[in-house]
Amino acid sequence: MSILTLDNISYHYDRSKTKVLDNLNMEFEAGKIYTIVGKSGAGKTTLLSVLSSLAKPTGGKIFLNEKDITKIDRYKFRSKYVGVIFQSFNLLTHLTALENVVLSMDISGKKFDRPKKEIALELLYKVGLSSDEAKRRVLKLSGGQQQRVAIARALSYDPDIILADEPTGNLDGETQDEIIGIFRMLANEGKCVIIVTHSPDVASSSDITYELQKTAKTA
Amino acid sequence: MYIFKNAIKSITRNKLRNILIGIIVLIISISACVSLSIREAAEAAKEDTLSNLQVTGTISYDRQKAMDKMKKSSSSSSDKSKFDFEKLQGSSLSLSEYKKYTKALKSGDSYYYSGAVSLNATGKILPYGTSEDDSSSSKSSSESKNSNDNMTQPPAFGNSGQQSDDRQPFQVNRGDFSITGYSSYKAMLSMFGDDGSYKITKGKMFDETSDALECIISSELATYNNLKVGDTIKLSNPKYESETYKLKIVGIYKNSQSSSEEDNRFRMNDPANNIYMNYNASSKIISKSAKANNKTTDSDGNKTSAKLTENLAFTYTFKTVDNYNSFEKQVYKLGLSKDYKVSSSDLQQYENSLTPLKTLSQTAVWFFLIVLAVGGIILITLNIFNLRERKYEVGVLTAIGMKKAKVALQFVSEIFIVTFIALIIGTSVGAAVSVPVTNTLLQNQIQSSQSSSDNARENFGFKNDDKPDMPNGEPMGDMFTQSKAQNYVDNVNSATNLAVIIELVLVGLFLTILASLAALISIMRYEPLKILSNRS
Repeated sequence: MSILTLDNISYHYDRSKTKVLDNLNMEFEAGKIYTIVGKSGAGKTTLLSVLSSLAKPTGGKIFLNEKDITKIDRYKFRSKYVGVIFQSFNLLTHLTALENVVLSMDISGKKFDRPKKEIALELLYKVGLSSDEAKRRVLKLSGGQQQRVAIARALSYDPDIILADEPTGNLDGETQDEIIGIFRMLANEGKCVIIVTHSPDVASSSDITYELQKTAKTA
Repeated sequence: MYIFKNAIKSITRNKLRNILIGIIVLIISISACVSLSIREAAEAAKEDTLSNLQVTGTISYDRQKAMDKMKKSSSSSSDKSKFDFEKLQGSSLSLSEYKKYTKALKSGDSYYYSGAVSLNATGKILPYGTSEDDSSSSKSSSESKNSNDNMTQPPAFGNSGQQSDDRQPFQVNRGDFSITGYSSYKAMLSMFGDDGSYKITKGKMFDETSDALECIISSELATYNNLKVGDTIKLSNPKYESETYKLKIVGIYKNSQSSSEEDNRFRMNDPANNIYMNYNASSKIISKSAKANNKTTDSDGNKTSAKLTENLAFTYTFKTVDNYNSFEKQVYKLGLSKDYKVSSSDLQQYENSLTPLKTLSQTAVWFFLIVLAVGGIILITLNIFNLRERKYEVGVLTAIGMKKAKVALQFVSEIFIVTFIALIIGTSVGAAVSVPVTNTLLQNQIQSSQSSSDNARENFGFKNDDKPDMPNGEPMGDMFTQSKAQNYVDNVNSATNLAVIIELVLVGLFLTILASLAALISIMRYEPLKILSNRS
């Protein structure tokens, strides 16, 4: 059953008349990894922004478990239902890896059966960070480690959907494999993982791949 | 709760930025604390002085008004000789008139009065301080006074009123002794002050109600003339030597003040020659003199009245300043002519005593407002720059689902925490330094006031320690010495109180709101997608 459904989604930026997304129809199911590929400018990142409710579609509707997401507060949607892994990680640099994860749990407002710190440390360990590394400020971590922190943060409040924008773009081959391994593990746990990528390796490791074509239609 | 935790983390992890904000708020709060404390101290001093103030008032002829009137009429008229100097002096109210206006007094207010008359020595008694040679010359001068016009001298400026049937308010017969009759003991105490400088050493006080010619004299005069309690002294009308009065000495008083420290009221006479009695008794002398209706001949051969006149001083005392103000309005409703004015030297003195503190307080308030304005502008600017620097943080927080209002709350909390820590430190420092700073500034202000006053005196040809003299060598009176004798409020004990602290809290809130305003507006305008994509 589809967890996330896109129904004729269109999008164009405020000052541009050209549609970036034009009547997109997609379905995403839990327990699967989806990759969205396409040439630069095809609207991959825009689609991710729309899916994460950072951008509001100019046309069409998005349903989360058959519920129109416009009916859900977009901050609540981002903090509870989807976990976003940004291309440039977007971590708070004055905080440690652990604090970044705990803050995300705080923002979600969810109740946890164990102390947040404990859960966060477990998550960070799961994505490959030791407790020592978890207590370092993120600026003192490598790109790969920061990516793992971003993944742990996205997972911290146990969302059903994980959205990742070029999650392996800044990583070497070995780390890339490890990250893909983590996504597979998440999919196996029942999460719906949607990855925007240029990488054929990542695309080949996914269950379903959507390819976006550049549109020339005007709004 | 996590918002505050995050705010504290943000403060501790961005020390430099917050220390900078803290320093600005610290400077503002120290300045604010000192300024507000000075203002509060001024208010407290005003209240304290006012609560201890015994307000007295008098009704006197408004010479300034009369002068202005005459100037006006003389300028419109070509005849300059119409400038009537005698009229300018006006006339004082009679005792019955003064008493009529006591109806305007309120509960707790009262009044007293005294009448002073000048009498000459006769027979063996000599005024204190005259030598044998002086005594003969004194006699001859007395005689010349009889045959000639009375020696006229300007009265002390402090005299509140005079009564003269001849309507010659500036002409006072100056005899050897000043006999002052008081309406009550209270009146006497009020005039002498209750500092204990006057004390009955032998005998008793004169009877407060009797009209018997009983008096008390100074110990110096008693010793000088070998007088004792029970003796009778014979004094005469300075204008008419054969008109004499016998006063019985019922008490001898000692004035601990030396002659050089003369009471201003009696500057024209040696205090040792002051004789005190009941007003009924002194009034009896005046009545007798009027009844005798003796005449004297002046140098032009004109016969003029030789009857004694008294200088009447009538004082109203008020429980509160409000009572005084009410009295000032009521007396005119009771029929007092607009040519007369109600005045209070106490209130004037009170106002004068607070002048340096008031000036300092006004300066402090302006200083506070300027510091607040400049500090506020710096804080806003600093926060705008801070926010631009933290734009990314706003983008991340909103992107991961934190509501803008919560982000704003976190930022405001940070400013609030930093501001209040700085404010607490600033208030503590301000409270500690406000008293010494206030007192130092106050001293400077007083020195400045005194320096201005001294300059003014010097412009009239007086040295700073001199009492201004009349051309004939007589002291001029109180007018020029008043500023010299002014007792300024020159010390405050406590300045920072609860009111100041509340005001500082309000200042802190104001600064927080001011500094947060930029943050709030910016955060509400930021869109996470734009911020993050620009950063990317």
